[in-house]
Amino acid sequence: MVSSDILYLSASELGKRIQSKALSPVELTKAYLDRSEKFGPKFNAFARLTPEVALEQATAAEKEIGRGHYRGPLHGIPYAAKDLLATKGIPTTWGAKPYENQLFDYDATVVENLRRAGAVLLGKASMIELAGGMNYRFASASLQGAAKNPWNTSCWTCGSSSGSGAIVAAGLAAFAIGTETWGSIVCPSAYCGISGLRPTFGRVSRHGAMALSYSMDKIGPMARSAEDCAHIFAVIAGHDIKDQSTLPLDKAAFTYSPSAELSAKPLRVGWLSNAWKQIDPHAEKAIQAAERTVRKMFPGTRNAALPEGPFEAAGGIIISVEGAAAFRELIRSGKIAQLADPLGQINGYVSEQIEAADYVRALQVRGILQQKMETLFDGFDVLVAAAQPLGANALDANLETDLIFPDPLGGIGNLCGLPALSTPCGFTDQNLPVGLQFVAKAGNDLAVIRAARTFQQHTDWHRKHPKIS
Amino acid sequence: MTPTNTSLSRREFTRRAALGTAATSTMLFSLPDLAAAGPTTLPTQLPSDASKLSPQSQAEAEARYQSILAQYPDRFSEAQKADLKRLCFALQPQLDRLRAWPVANSDQPALYLKPLVEREKKSNAAANLKSAPTPAKSSAPEKP
Repeated sequence: MVSSDILYLSASELGKRIQSKALSPVELTKAYLDRSEKFGPKFNAFARLTPEVALEQATAAEKEIGRGHYRGPLHGIPYAAKDLLATKGIPTTWGAKPYENQLFDYDATVVENLRRAGAVLLGKASMIELAGGMNYRFASASLQGAAKNPWNTSCWTCGSSSGSGAIVAAGLAAFAIGTETWGSIVCPSAYCGISGLRPTFGRVSRHGAMALSYSMDKIGPMARSAEDCAHIFAVIAGHDIKDQSTLPLDKAAFTYSPSAELSAKPLRVGWLSNAWKQIDPHAEKAIQAAERTVRKMFPGTRNAALPEGPFEAAGGIIISVEGAAAFRELIRSGKIAQLADPLGQINGYVSEQIEAADYVRALQVRGILQQKMETLFDGFDVLVAAAQPLGANALDANLETDLIFPDPLGGIGNLCGLPALSTPCGFTDQNLPVGLQFVAKAGNDLAVIRAARTFQQHTDWHRKHPKIS
Repeated sequence: MTPTNTSLSRREFTRRAALGTAATSTMLFSLPDLAAAGPTTLPTQLPSDASKLSPQSQAEAEARYQSILAQYPDRFSEAQKADLKRLCFALQPQLDRLRAWPVANSDQPALYLKPLVEREKKSNAAANLKSAPTPAKSSAPEKP
């Protein structure tokens, strides 16, 4: 019998037990499956469970480890993949009605890499339809319905990796894979009180992943600690000949050993003064305390400011145009009307109308911005700010009208393909998780991992989990 | 905490956040919400700041809307048409802001991670410079 305390251990801790044969991958998988069957529907967390695949992979892992062949820290560890990653013979719905019976005859490279590392596919995580690519007004914009936050089921998990957030927070799997075009890893990680890494653009292959924005989509881990994110990232990162946008071999690959951090140079940290116009009063205390902790941990922390310009507009236009191109047939055929969300049903038509010259101008602005951020990072290794300026919003909120605020850091970070890691840093006075995000220059994913690891070594917010019954 | 309380506090927060923003920029968590660029509006209304658009921008937004109707004449309900019109107008300030940003003819569009490529170019150039043989000293006067 595997207790729920075990199910909330980090993948790194589970891995140690599995390696020492103190924990059976098969028993662990069965326990996660039982828990997921019981609680998954409560949170609308899964698009589907894959018990046959999971038990087959867990049994293979157990036999292999029994023979003395231990593949690494993910061997025998159950995880969930966002339902936009192709899985051979298992429906991949992209969270949307028009694709509810979609089948691929191959695995996404990320899924293949995880299988090679011995990880166990427990199921496909629910998500916002088309990862929000046609936009959405309500949290219910999903084939599985609104994902409910395990900390308070009357609140949302954020999107679009909504199921991935719920699964990790509720202890339904050891980790999950999410994707981000703008906010879809960072925000659900913050809302759900977990650690989420948005890697540098091009470090993780997108072969077999639904395309929304060809120049901005990223795939990354959502887990219980920054260390877990690092181990998962080391498995999924790397050049892929099947994805031309992946970086060259030497720039895409990532190797990680916690001990390597000991000899690393101290990080130069900048606290961003203009990441948010305002912090929600309910979250203010937690963010202020987190800032004090950061300044104490990194004594040289200085204030920093993001450059100002039409960067959110540029990011938005790029996503809208690329999204309209990616789903052109869906829009033109009229099947877009099958989407669940009223905004999603029509917004693609507006995106189609954006002129090519405006798209190119947005790309030019991105080039200028990338240089500005390179210059800013001459003085800093990581920039820090609240991951979101508030805790999770109500499940029935109208996102168009109730949650409008500028997000320059999200815009700039995603437009420039910068790595970011969101770590839990406290709670609102309504007991909802609050996140802190570390952002670094393109290619320096290790810096955000180091910074978040340091934060987590000095705090225990990442070890908190909701009571599920 | 009740959901109602949460909802109210978010609205209050949003209202105040919006007040602090001169040029409205928006984010809908997973994606930038171009459609909701204006402050709170009912779906059937034009954004309240639509009248702040220049006549040219208003005409462009209206043309965008008409173009959609011309391309898909029988596809939308009346409510959807009203919503589409609102979205067409809400997009306009974003486009106007982008176009107002100074961009030179020589500014190249950045499709991917230009800085990574340039960093490599710089380090390669530096390496080449180090490994290059020292040129023989010339007796010719140096150029200014």
